[in-house]
Amino acid sequence: MMLLSLCVSFTAFAALSLAMEKHQQDLHGRRAALLLRRRSWSVLGWLLLAVAFGLCIGEHGWAMGPVVWLGTLTLSGIALAFGLYPWKPHWVVPLAVLLPVIGLIAAI
Amino acid sequence: MKNGFRQSMAWLHTWTGLLVGWLLLLIFMAGTASYYREEISRWMRPELPATTVSTDVAAARAVQYLQAHAGQAETWFVTLPDPRNPAMRLFWRNPESLAKPPVDGERRRRGGGRFGDATVDPNTGDKLEARDTRGGEFFYRLHFDLHYIPVVWARYLVGFCAMFMLVAIITGVITHKKIFKDFFTFRKDKGLRSWLDFHNVSAVMALPYHAMITYTGIVTLMVMYLPWGIKVAYPTDENAFFSEAFGGMPEVSAPAEGRSSPLPITRLLESARAHWQGVDVSGFTVTHPGAANAVIDIRQRDGRRLSTDTPALRYDMVSGQLLSETPASGAATATRGVLYGLHLARFADWGLRAFFFVSGLIGCLMVASGVVLWAVKERPKHAKRSRIGFGLRLVDALNIGAVAGLPIAFAAYFWGNRLLPVRLPERADAEVSVFFYAWAAALLAGFIWPRRSMWTGLLYLGAVLFALLPLLNALTTQAHLGVTMVSGDWVLAGFDLVMLAFGAMLALCGWRMQRWTPPISAAEKKKRAALQAGTAGAGA
Repeated sequence: MMLLSLCVSFTAFAALSLAMEKHQQDLHGRRAALLLRRRSWSVLGWLLLAVAFGLCIGEHGWAMGPVVWLGTLTLSGIALAFGLYPWKPHWVVPLAVLLPVIGLIAAI
Repeated sequence: MKNGFRQSMAWLHTWTGLLVGWLLLLIFMAGTASYYREEISRWMRPELPATTVSTDVAAARAVQYLQAHAGQAETWFVTLPDPRNPAMRLFWRNPESLAKPPVDGERRRRGGGRFGDATVDPNTGDKLEARDTRGGEFFYRLHFDLHYIPVVWARYLVGFCAMFMLVAIITGVITHKKIFKDFFTFRKDKGLRSWLDFHNVSAVMALPYHAMITYTGIVTLMVMYLPWGIKVAYPTDENAFFSEAFGGMPEVSAPAEGRSSPLPITRLLESARAHWQGVDVSGFTVTHPGAANAVIDIRQRDGRRLSTDTPALRYDMVSGQLLSETPASGAATATRGVLYGLHLARFADWGLRAFFFVSGLIGCLMVASGVVLWAVKERPKHAKRSRIGFGLRLVDALNIGAVAGLPIAFAAYFWGNRLLPVRLPERADAEVSVFFYAWAAALLAGFIWPRRSMWTGLLYLGAVLFALLPLLNALTTQAHLGVTMVSGDWVLAGFDLVMLAFGAMLALCGWRMQRWTPPISAAEKKKRAALQAGTAGAGA
């Protein structure tokens, strides 16, 4: 269950980074997504952050849940900023799709 | 000070950070290690058994042992085994008047025979002869009591560092102009830019953690830093404040003359569990064991509670009657309990503990990259004058000694644990000395030759020391990876694997430091390109 919230947080941050012009250019160069597309990435990102928060609260309660949630954010943010974007930028999107699926399977 | 709000904040950030940076790195590293102090202690005493028994069996063994070896004691303290720590720790206080010499084999503590302690195998109830070590407790103490200096000074010094850290965090956020725009931005191989990005990302990603750990760190020692409120309200008796504010059990009356046999311990623990609707017990304290008015305080196991204020129950040991219960704490005390609890993270299961550990490591990287950043930024000014000034030389030396030297000291502590003779007198202190000798040597090396080759050399040395620890463990003990991975003892196996990972990370740092070339400016690049084009043209 904690794995699932971690995976959802990762995808949320990946979506939020895709909503930024800079990272669009990292990934797609000149074919960077337009403003409207980036808007929807941003909406999806915030939504998924909320979902991850809900998962943490559901699993760990109101006292511990937020602590766990922040932990998942730190870990996914570090993985994106220090791992994927500088070294393997083309893994960002596939992982963002794949990880929540893995998390879901592990949770069930 | 410079003009402008942001500039003055940047100034404040730079200097508060740099002034306390190196000590802060020690505090952060030792504090981060403390999340696993039970696990470290276990690894450092490989003689201890690996199997666990139920709390009831363990408690019965504890009482048996104490009745046999400390029947006359005033108080018994028992910490029951748990999955993180399969051995059982017993501690007792003898009546001062008796001051009997310790039973043979018992370590003599300061104060002669007033105290006794033993580590007991919960399976057999026999005393365990494990090597003398301070284990993970050393790191825990180190991160707020330091070492070699009086505890009070140390705590003021650590508090000073924490206050500066708090200032550095706040000013850092103000100074960081593009905190959201650069949220995921780390540009590698760009010299100063990369260091700045690294410092920013490591700070921002774990910002809630950094702010929390610094603030709660100050709160844990607040009563010491700001004692005046208590001095005014309780001018004569400070202890009255502590017992009123932080709860705990009332004092027990003097021991009764009569002796009577207590109820079996399992029955008492059973009543406590029933009272808490099934939450397990972590340990207990018996006052006046064997006397007619013996009482037992049973402590609840930490679990799904943020606060450190452990609920406890007191029973009459002879009749089994519930005498009292820790009162519900007031709002201020509860707040302190939660803040304290967040700092210690005792509530954390393995997953959350890993989050805290990783966040702590990120904190170490943030502090380390901060002090390095200062030197990287300063260097071009000195290069222009074509000589390294005193300030930069000092910072370089301290950076090498702390950033590359502290990992060596940590690894050396573990090497000492395995290589020092088991029967060495004052063995635990000798291990601590190994830590400080190693660190002092690294600092000295940094001061003698504060150059890049020293960085590389020390980082590689740290890498080798960490990476070879599992091998050393395999050569000197029976609790090595070949055994622990097969039997699924993930506490011990995890320790070895994490050491390997640290070795790999340090090796990577050393390798990048070795092959790093200073970035060339755009103008220089153009000049070189033109030169190359010129020679190519001439060749054709």
